[in-house]
Amino acid sequence: MGFLNSYIYYIASFGLIFIGLYILVAKSNLIKMIIGLNIADSGVNLLLISIGYIKRGTAPIFSKPNLNPKLMVDPVPQALVLTAIVIGVAVLALALSFAVRLFQHYDTLDMRKIKEQRW
Amino acid sequence: MPDPVLLIAIPLGFAFLIPLLGFISRKIEKFVPPVAMAVNILLSIKLIPYVMKKPIVSSLGGFLHPFSINLYVGPVGLFFSLLISFVGFLVSLYAISYIKEGATQKYHMLFLLLLTGANGAALTADIFNLFVFSEILCISSYALVAYTGSKAGVESATKYLIQGSIGSAFFLIAIGLIYGQFGTLNMAEIAQHVHSVKPINIYLPIAMIISGIGVEAAIFPINAWLPDAHSSAPSTISAVLSGIAIKIGLYVILRFVFTIFGATNLLLILIITAIVTVLVGEFSAFSQNNIKRMLAYSSTGQIGLILFAISLGTSQGISAGFFQLITHTLSKSILFLSTGYMIVKAGSMDMENMIGMGKRMPVSSLSFTIGAFSLVGLPPFIGFPSKFLIVKAAIAKGDILSIVLIILVLLGTVIEAAYFFRAVQTLYFKGDSSSIQRDEAPAIALIPLLLLIVSIIGIGVYPHFLTGFLNKVSSELLNRIAFIRGILG
Repeated sequence: MGFLNSYIYYIASFGLIFIGLYILVAKSNLIKMIIGLNIADSGVNLLLISIGYIKRGTAPIFSKPNLNPKLMVDPVPQALVLTAIVIGVAVLALALSFAVRLFQHYDTLDMRKIKEQRW
Repeated sequence: MPDPVLLIAIPLGFAFLIPLLGFISRKIEKFVPPVAMAVNILLSIKLIPYVMKKPIVSSLGGFLHPFSINLYVGPVGLFFSLLISFVGFLVSLYAISYIKEGATQKYHMLFLLLLTGANGAALTADIFNLFVFSEILCISSYALVAYTGSKAGVESATKYLIQGSIGSAFFLIAIGLIYGQFGTLNMAEIAQHVHSVKPINIYLPIAMIISGIGVEAAIFPINAWLPDAHSSAPSTISAVLSGIAIKIGLYVILRFVFTIFGATNLLLILIITAIVTVLVGEFSAFSQNNIKRMLAYSSTGQIGLILFAISLGTSQGISAGFFQLITHTLSKSILFLSTGYMIVKAGSMDMENMIGMGKRMPVSSLSFTIGAFSLVGLPPFIGFPSKFLIVKAAIAKGDILSIVLIILVLLGTVIEAAYFFRAVQTLYFKGDSSSIQRDEAPAIALIPLLLLIVSIIGIGVYPHFLTGFLNKVSSELLNRIAFIRGILG
């Protein structure tokens, strides 16, 4: 149990990443693929957060006296994740607007049927 | 000395100036990108003498070392910023007449943002900052590929977006793993401490970086988006994607492999990937009938060639590779720009419709021919010295593997010559051309073509003009200690 306890966040975040990648590979509906992309993105964000996490840690702000700096979580990954979330939202919005356009052109979102561009 | 952060701030600022200028007049917006790029060219030229003496390290926001994000403007960064602003300037000049329909305001904004991302990625010395800039580059290029809104454009942009996002997710995982081990995002600090962790712990990050950013660099097994995206984007965007975007991907890989990890034992894998990329790219290009698809596949082949030369790992090889990078950027820009109006006038991208273009559009056809001959490597164009230097570097390395591989590369070059000569033959010598009227592209679009011709022939005749600079570039990549000392002091 010790192993599971200390690595649970890593296992969960890699699990999410692999679920996302599996959806991208296995599904052919564009909306589902975009959802898969987003799940993978959340997995990456969770991974970054868990790298800086300390059990029962506090925010890295000296809001009360006698706070132990060793029990504060690392703020850098949180700043990174904030940026990564914003980037993820931009990509998501762009992908959904592409999906709208594709549906207007082809009347389907099945990527197996959208294959005018080929080798 | 001008502050190097201006190289990033100017295109970014001008990009967001465009919608404001739109309130005054919608006619100004197309002149904004050339102005921004001209300022960037001047700034980069002004920085040359300082960088030649000593690389410039600047801290953003006035914070001191461990808290700041650094910009590192060494020869490599300056090389890219010069190349980006030069090509960006010419392409945006061409776009003044070429981009007429659709959301022109958004086009010019996204174009400047793309160049901002490219410039920032080449100059930064912080890996997360590098990720952010490469995302700016990627997201604006996804949107620009779909700019025409046509069936092909949106479809290939969607494919590009999905592949690119998976790539950047991998890149972000790698950054997370690196941060977890080193506790820093500064390239120099990681490079300093890289030998204090077990090698096995950096295999996964480095593999994820190569496969993640390799999507952007279009090295072989992950280049499926490239032919679609490059052929269905507007020609100006194809020129920028081919000339700049994929080079930035390549730069990121090299920065990680050489400077940060010093993983020279990976070069064997890279060199083999490069050879496969060359052969697959050139063979696929040979079988294309669509002129832009042919050029797109040829970009894949050229990326392989550049990666081959650089992964030789000798200083000669690296400077030859960067020389080839200039060759490809200039030649591919001229090829895509000259085909831009040919496609508009012919109404199709098929080779058959290009028959007789030599008489109909003489200047564009001449530019296409020069670009093609330069990529093939004929003297007096820029392609000749760069290919010559690559062969020389491979032979100077002396082991049997490089000799065998350079033979394969030359085989790729022969195939390249075959399809480019076929294209040039189609332009000039096929069909009956007696009844064709002259119908050239507008004059403002010919200026960038002429400037590119001048630079291609100029550097081709005087390659020594560049060698000193390229030697500095290769020594920056090879000399990790100087890089670390330069940033950490």
